[in-house]
Amino acid sequence: MANQNGQIYGLTILSPILEGDTLDVGHATALRWYLASLPRNHTSPFARVSSTHFARLVVMDDVVFVGAPAIEEHVKSRYLVFESNFDGDLDTYLTRMAQEIPDFVDSVWKHCVGYPGVADPAAFAAYMKKCQIETTFFFADVNNKTVQQNLRALQVQSALSHFIERNQGKPAADIQKSFGMLVEHLAKAAAPLPGGIDSEKTAAEDRPYDR
Amino acid sequence: MIASTNTDSTKIDVTDIQGFALKGYNFPFARYLLLELSHVQGARDFIGQTVQYLTTGERWQEKPISTVNIAFTFPGLVKLELPAPTLLSFPVEFQQGMKARGEILYDTGKNSPEHWEPVWRDNRVHVWLAVNAQTAAALEQQCALLLQIANQTGGATLLQAQDAHAIFIDGKPTTKEHFGYTDGFGNPDFKGAQRDCVPGQGKLTHDGQWEALATGEFLLGYADESGELPVAPIPHLLARNGTFMVYRKMHQNVATFRALLEKQGALYPGGKEKLASKFVGRWRDGTPVELSPDHPDPAIVADNDRNTNFTYGKDLNGLRCPVGAHIRRGNPRDSFGFNGELVNRRRIMRRGLTYGTYVPEGQPVRDEDEHGVIFMALNASLFRQFEFVQQQWIEYGNDLHQGNDKDLVIGNHGGRGKTVLQGTADPQNPPFICANLPNFVELRGGDYFFMPSLTALQMIANGTVDPR
Repeated sequence: MANQNGQIYGLTILSPILEGDTLDVGHATALRWYLASLPRNHTSPFARVSSTHFARLVVMDDVVFVGAPAIEEHVKSRYLVFESNFDGDLDTYLTRMAQEIPDFVDSVWKHCVGYPGVADPAAFAAYMKKCQIETTFFFADVNNKTVQQNLRALQVQSALSHFIERNQGKPAADIQKSFGMLVEHLAKAAAPLPGGIDSEKTAAEDRPYDR
Repeated sequence: MIASTNTDSTKIDVTDIQGFALKGYNFPFARYLLLELSHVQGARDFIGQTVQYLTTGERWQEKPISTVNIAFTFPGLVKLELPAPTLLSFPVEFQQGMKARGEILYDTGKNSPEHWEPVWRDNRVHVWLAVNAQTAAALEQQCALLLQIANQTGGATLLQAQDAHAIFIDGKPTTKEHFGYTDGFGNPDFKGAQRDCVPGQGKLTHDGQWEALATGEFLLGYADESGELPVAPIPHLLARNGTFMVYRKMHQNVATFRALLEKQGALYPGGKEKLASKFVGRWRDGTPVELSPDHPDPAIVADNDRNTNFTYGKDLNGLRCPVGAHIRRGNPRDSFGFNGELVNRRRIMRRGLTYGTYVPEGQPVRDEDEHGVIFMALNASLFRQFEFVQQQWIEYGNDLHQGNDKDLVIGNHGGRGKTVLQGTADPQNPPFICANLPNFVELRGGDYFFMPSLTALQMIANGTVDPR
C-alpha cells in the first residue's frame, strides 16, 4: 500500500479548479487568496481534525521551463493539490473533515469542479476519492505513533527534563517520592491540545513534584 | 563543463589577499576603528592612501610590530559609489546587513538591535579598519597614523574605536576568554594556504585522514566544495581574493555564568570543572573532552597534531563529548555520518579577541561590567556558512537530535533554555540537565563586511570598478 506507512496515511488529491472567464476574479486566484489567509499554527482548521500530522494545500499551475527556449507544459486544468498525513483510514478522515470543519471545506472546494458539498459526508468522501492519486512516497513523520501519542510523549519528555533538573543530586528517597508525584501528575494531566506543546505554558504549569 | 584543472595544486597570490583573511595574527592588542565615510572623493583618497599600510598574506620572516586590515559594509560600498550593477550583484544577505537578518539569526529579545550599542543601530558604520599590534604603544602609533589619513583626506570620521586585547595572566598574554576557557584552537585549512593541513582542521577523507578544504569556501573567485565558484559580485576582479566577514560584539554575563557553574557544579557528581568541560567540549585548559573525558591533559593541549585531531563517529550518543557541546555544535565533524561530508560547506574561519577587564575566578564580578569577545568569522558565503551554523546548530538543536535546545554558552535562551548532557551508568559521568537557562552571552552589535583584495581596493580607490 503505497499510500500507507504503518498506521500513517499519506493522502494526495488533485481537484480540478473551476474555470470561467466571466468572473471578476477567477476561482484559482480567489482560492489562492483564501489559502494565503489561513493560520498555520494551532488555530489552523486541521488542528481540529486532530488526527492530522501535516497538511498542505496548494494551487498548481502549468509547468513552465524558464529558459531558452521556454516550454509551457499544459495540464488539463489547474488543480488544487491537497496533501495530508494522518492517522488511520481514509474514509474516517474524510468524514471527519466533512463533519468537523465543514465551513472550511466549503470555502476551499467550492472552487473545484464537481464538489458536492459536505451535507452528505459519504458523497463528499466519494468525491474526494475520485480525485485521489497514489502518493507513492511521503514524509512519514519520524515514527509510527499517532498525533496524540507524539504530543503525549513530548509532554512527558518536557515534564521529565524539568523534573530531572529540579531533583538531580537530591537524596534517593526524596527523588523517589517526587517521582511518584510526577507519575501521578502526568497520569492525571489533560492530553495536550493538537497544534503542539507550548513550552512556556508547560513551564508555568502547576508542578507540585518540583517544589 | 567544468574546466579540467588540478585543484590540488590551487595556487593563490598571498600578497594580493589581506593577511587577516589568511591567518590569525595572535597579537595581544587590537583596535577596530569603526568609520563613517563622507564624500566620495575623500573616501577614495582615504582608501588609496591606506592601502600602502595594509598587511597582506605574505609569509613573514619575522612578525611585524603591527598590522592593518580593512573591510566595508554594504552602505560603505554605496557611499564609495560603486556602480549599481556591481552593488546589486552582491549576495542579498550582505546587502541587507546583519541587523536586517535578525529574525534569521535569532538576534531577538535581549539580542535584538534595541539592546545594541548606538553605533550599530543606524547603519552608519561603513568601514572596519583593524589594527593588531604586539605592544600597546605600537597600537596607538598605528591608529594615530591611520586616523591622521582619515582627517587629512576628509574621507572618513571615527564613530567608535573598539579595543580588544588578550587576557593577561601573570603578565603574559593568554588565549583565555572571560568564562575561563582557553579559546581559539584551530581553523579550517584550505587549499592554497601556506601551511600543511593540521590533523582535525580540514575535511575528513574516506580513509579517515584530514585534507584541506576547497579554497572557494573561504576566498571568492575559486572553486568551492561543490566545484563551483561562490556567489560573488561582478566584476570577477573585484571579488577574487576577497571574502566576507561577520563581526559580532558578544557581551559575556560573567557573574551569571560563574553562578551557574557553582550551583550546578555542586550537584554534578563529576564536579564543577568536568561540568564546565561538558558545556563546551573542552576542559577549561583546552583539552578536548572527546580525547580525554575524565581529566584535563596539558600534553594534548600543547600538541598541535592532537589538540584538534578527533572525530565524533564513535561517540554519536555524546557519552564522552555531549552532542550539544559548544564546539560540537559549531563544527559537528562526522556527527551526522557520511564521513563528515555534511559539514564541509558549513565551515567558518574564526578570528576573535576578548575585550574588557578579566576578573579571576573567585573575585567579585558583575555581569554589567564591560567584558566579552569580539567575534569575527570569515567565509565565502555568509548565508550558507555563518548564518546556517548560527541558525541551525547554535540556536536550534534538531540536526543534533536536541529538539529546541540551543548552545548553552552562546544561545539566546531568554530564561527558558535547556541543555541535556548525555551520560552513562558511571556515577562520575551521569546524564545531567540544566534548565531555565538565561543568556550567558548577549549581542551588542555588529554587521556584515566585505574584505576586498589589494587589487580590488585599488580599483575602489581609483573609481575604476567596471562591471561590464
